[in-house]
Amino acid sequence: MLLDPGMDLTLRPMRYPGFYERYRAAIRNTWTVEEVDLHSDLADLARMSPQERHLINRLVAFFATGDSIVANNLVLNLYQHVNAPEARLYLSRQLFEEAVHVQFYLTLLDTYLPDHDERVKAFAAIEHIPSIRDKAEFCFRWIDSVNGLRRLESAGERRRFLLNLICFAACIEGLFFYGAFAYVYWFRSRGLLGGLATGTNWVFRDESMHMEFAFSVVDTVRAEEPELFDDELGEQVTAMLEEAVAAELAFARDLCGDGMPGMHAEQMREYLEYVADQRLARLGLPTRYGTANPFAFMELQDVQELANFFERRVSAYQVAVEGNVSFDEIF
Amino acid sequence: MTQIVEVDRGPATADRRLATADRRLAIEEAAARVIADPANSRVAARLLAEEIADEAAAHGVRSFSESVAATHAAGLVQDSLAAFVAAHAAELDALVSDEADARFEYFGLRTVYDRYLLRHPETRAVLERPQHFFLRVACGLSSSVADAAELYGLMSTLSYLPSSPTLFNSGARRPQLSSCFLLDSPRDELEAIYDRYGQVARLSKYAGGIGISWTRVRSRGSLIRGTNGHSNGIVPWLRTLDSSVAAVNQGGRRKGAACVYLETWHADIEEFLELRDNTGEDARRTHNLNLANWVPDEFMRRVEADEPWSLFDPKDVPDLTDLHGAEFERAYRAYEAEGRFTRRIPARALYGRMMRTLAQTGNGWMTFKDAANRTSNQTARSENVIHLSNLCTEILEVTSDAETAVCNLGSVNLAAHLLDGTLDWARLRATVRTAVRFLDRTIDLGFYPTPEAGAANRRWRPIGLGVMGLADVFFALRLPFDSPEALELSTRVAEEIALSAYDTSADLAVERGRHPSYGDTRAAGGVLHPDHYAGAAASPRWDALRQKIATTGLRNSLMIAIAPTATIASIAGCYECIEPQVSNVFKRETLSGEFLQVNRYLVADLRARGLWTRRMRDDIKRADGSIHDIRDIPDDLKVLYRTAWELPQKALIDLAAARQPYVDQSQSLNLFMAAPTIGKLSSMYAYAWKRGLKTTYYLRSRPATRIAQTTVPAAAEPPAACSVENPEICEACQ
Repeated sequence: MLLDPGMDLTLRPMRYPGFYERYRAAIRNTWTVEEVDLHSDLADLARMSPQERHLINRLVAFFATGDSIVANNLVLNLYQHVNAPEARLYLSRQLFEEAVHVQFYLTLLDTYLPDHDERVKAFAAIEHIPSIRDKAEFCFRWIDSVNGLRRLESAGERRRFLLNLICFAACIEGLFFYGAFAYVYWFRSRGLLGGLATGTNWVFRDESMHMEFAFSVVDTVRAEEPELFDDELGEQVTAMLEEAVAAELAFARDLCGDGMPGMHAEQMREYLEYVADQRLARLGLPTRYGTANPFAFMELQDVQELANFFERRVSAYQVAVEGNVSFDEIF
Repeated sequence: MTQIVEVDRGPATADRRLATADRRLAIEEAAARVIADPANSRVAARLLAEEIADEAAAHGVRSFSESVAATHAAGLVQDSLAAFVAAHAAELDALVSDEADARFEYFGLRTVYDRYLLRHPETRAVLERPQHFFLRVACGLSSSVADAAELYGLMSTLSYLPSSPTLFNSGARRPQLSSCFLLDSPRDELEAIYDRYGQVARLSKYAGGIGISWTRVRSRGSLIRGTNGHSNGIVPWLRTLDSSVAAVNQGGRRKGAACVYLETWHADIEEFLELRDNTGEDARRTHNLNLANWVPDEFMRRVEADEPWSLFDPKDVPDLTDLHGAEFERAYRAYEAEGRFTRRIPARALYGRMMRTLAQTGNGWMTFKDAANRTSNQTARSENVIHLSNLCTEILEVTSDAETAVCNLGSVNLAAHLLDGTLDWARLRATVRTAVRFLDRTIDLGFYPTPEAGAANRRWRPIGLGVMGLADVFFALRLPFDSPEALELSTRVAEEIALSAYDTSADLAVERGRHPSYGDTRAAGGVLHPDHYAGAAASPRWDALRQKIATTGLRNSLMIAIAPTATIASIAGCYECIEPQVSNVFKRETLSGEFLQVNRYLVADLRARGLWTRRMRDDIKRADGSIHDIRDIPDDLKVLYRTAWELPQKALIDLAAARQPYVDQSQSLNLFMAAPTIGKLSSMYAYAWKRGLKTTYYLRSRPATRIAQTTVPAAAEPPAACSVENPEICEACQ
């Protein structure tokens, strides 16, 4: 079974070809930081109100460390316990993507914050800014919850691991990051920070796949060991999401202050609750909030893009392509 | 459920600033709810029109003449325009139709507002309303009120729009009105290369798109006699071009853009094809340049026959790029026989590499050198050669070291010519006649950033009249894109436009004279473009036209080019040029933000059948804008509303091939393949070549992974595991 302790090395026959397909699809969507033009954002930043500028600085400070935390958990916990070589292939790929995101946000920070001291402060935000520190502590607590767990023998140990996995997928990548992306798209809907939005499109795509991979691990474990998924686990997941919503909401209050046209902490609360419900539904749990999505601009992210190439790069191209020259295929 | 945003206007005494902020929010809300009901687009547009009118009024601009006075005072328009408008203020003001604003969709008006309306240099407030802008463009191209009224009438009804540079600059102090510039390859020497960079920068500054060949520049490893060193090939030069193009911001409106053409026999072709890769050494990558292959027939024949292909250093075969057709083949084979090549590789290996570049980057467009030259009106004399196409692959004009080809563009909105379930052919012909007259005028009124461009344009006087909204016509007339009826209609449209355009150019030759190089054209020898295609000039109307031209000559050497119309189609609120829809629901990203578009024809049909519900919207979004697998939708709608990803691409190529005889330049033909393979691509492009297409444009593909949709309720995913036993499920859950 997927969570059995050990180091399975057998790829043929392959037990979980779906994981392998996810790995291959991820490779086809390779992007690099060099493709993103962030300098076009500087003129927008110069025009922003102090309130907007505060929001952006906080957001950048969160981005500065967010993906590194996810990468740490991947190496320390996920890779160790998800015991199928095809799944570990995906995780290796995910690790690379986290590295690209770290590089992207580092480049963002270097571009947005020309002052050296400001940059140092942004990285220190995780200790000094309460709204960022609280989110980080939430993450560290769940990393620590499986600390020292070398082998998943008992049902209790497996549940502890599942909670860690679900936390990083549903709460951190699936809620903290989704919250952060919403601010970016709010700017974008007003024609601002196109460079950040382009990179965010790509990060968002990657994060979506990370989350889906984690959920498909959960699906697999559920099919193999349904007894692990008892009521208590469900309650723990729901409580964990409530806590994550509260932490992200505190962050939103810090970012939005008294609010700006189209972006208030109260709207962000509705959005976070709406997203949290989606995570619960995906995990087969009852929804908790029943709140509707308040951000119409997020609808824009769900549909195909059709970029005018005069204006920016299209983000839709595939990296790997296969086959041989022939003249009689159907097209 | 229909959700039209209700606008609460509040008490009339409400605080003015608050009212403005409220209106802005209402606009954003309405715009974001277009997917719920397309009618919200008009709601948002109406509010935005009010906003614009208020903004202009704050600077004292209410009438057209006031707007020209204000923009003139701000130093934005020509003295002559201001004088013309002042002299005819009352007549011109009376032309403005404020109701015309009601024709705008939100995205169109937003585009006009964000990027086209003239603004005060300091306050950045707009100094003209949308209808003032149209009339200002018309006046900039007119010498009488009647002329201005004629063009304004077409623009305000969104029946015809000139290209963006004309919209940006007509009447401006520096009226650069041309869309495209095509530069021959620099000569193979340092000074010539740096001179080209300067030309590209000057042309780019005034909002022109650049096509430039690099075929004459020596390849990597070639000996440099002056220093006894070896060349690093074309890549370092193109890196410099890349930076230079990116540095030029077109008046703050959009970034510069260029496409580099390379002939398939150039020895650096493989490195050229890697320029847009996002892997490998960044020092050998150009992230901003577009790339196009200038492909001789001989290469495609060798691909088919699975023969070797020889790569040459242009220094060793300097005349090859100036030859085409049989002469090229003779020379190419002779150089091969003499062993002058740098390397030989299997033609299919290189063709496969080209296909891979298309799949990976969408770039590396396939354009065909011999088809381009064989049928062009400009290439009657062997010294006149087409060396490349332009940034959007619809222009094919002769270039040389001393001549930079230029094209002035405009497009007819076919959707605006629908009348009672058919096309209003008489009005279409009338629109074409007006359009050709004004395009011809732009040649004389335009400012040319380089002498090479001015010289060429005055000699050949080419124009590029195109179309947009073909997909709207097909939807309105209920013709599936791949139906025989669509093919017939689309071909007839092209033929009618060509006939009217040529006829108008013949009239203009009588009124204003032939273009100076008329004697060097095929038309002077009695051959018109459709004559190159069997059966295409069968109508007696072509015989009559040929006879007329024999006495009158032509004012313009080339007349038809189908440009992508990315921006002007959004102003007009129609589908782009000759393209099928990409999705029934899609988002447009532009410099002014993201906008949602929904297929309003589909929505009307679904609503008529009581099927337009919240759930239906979510289903279509979840299916990425496709309705193919949505159970409740009847089959007739499924066939009509297929997206570009679902249509057979063969049909797109067949439509383009049938239209080609009446398109004397070329067409920006995008091809779509969701999951491209080398096999499918190589078959597709070989077919496009065989059908006689002169050029193709982007290969559009889709990302291999996608974001998790946030605003569609999570589908209850079956918790079954992917396993060896049920591999199908793995496919299903991606």
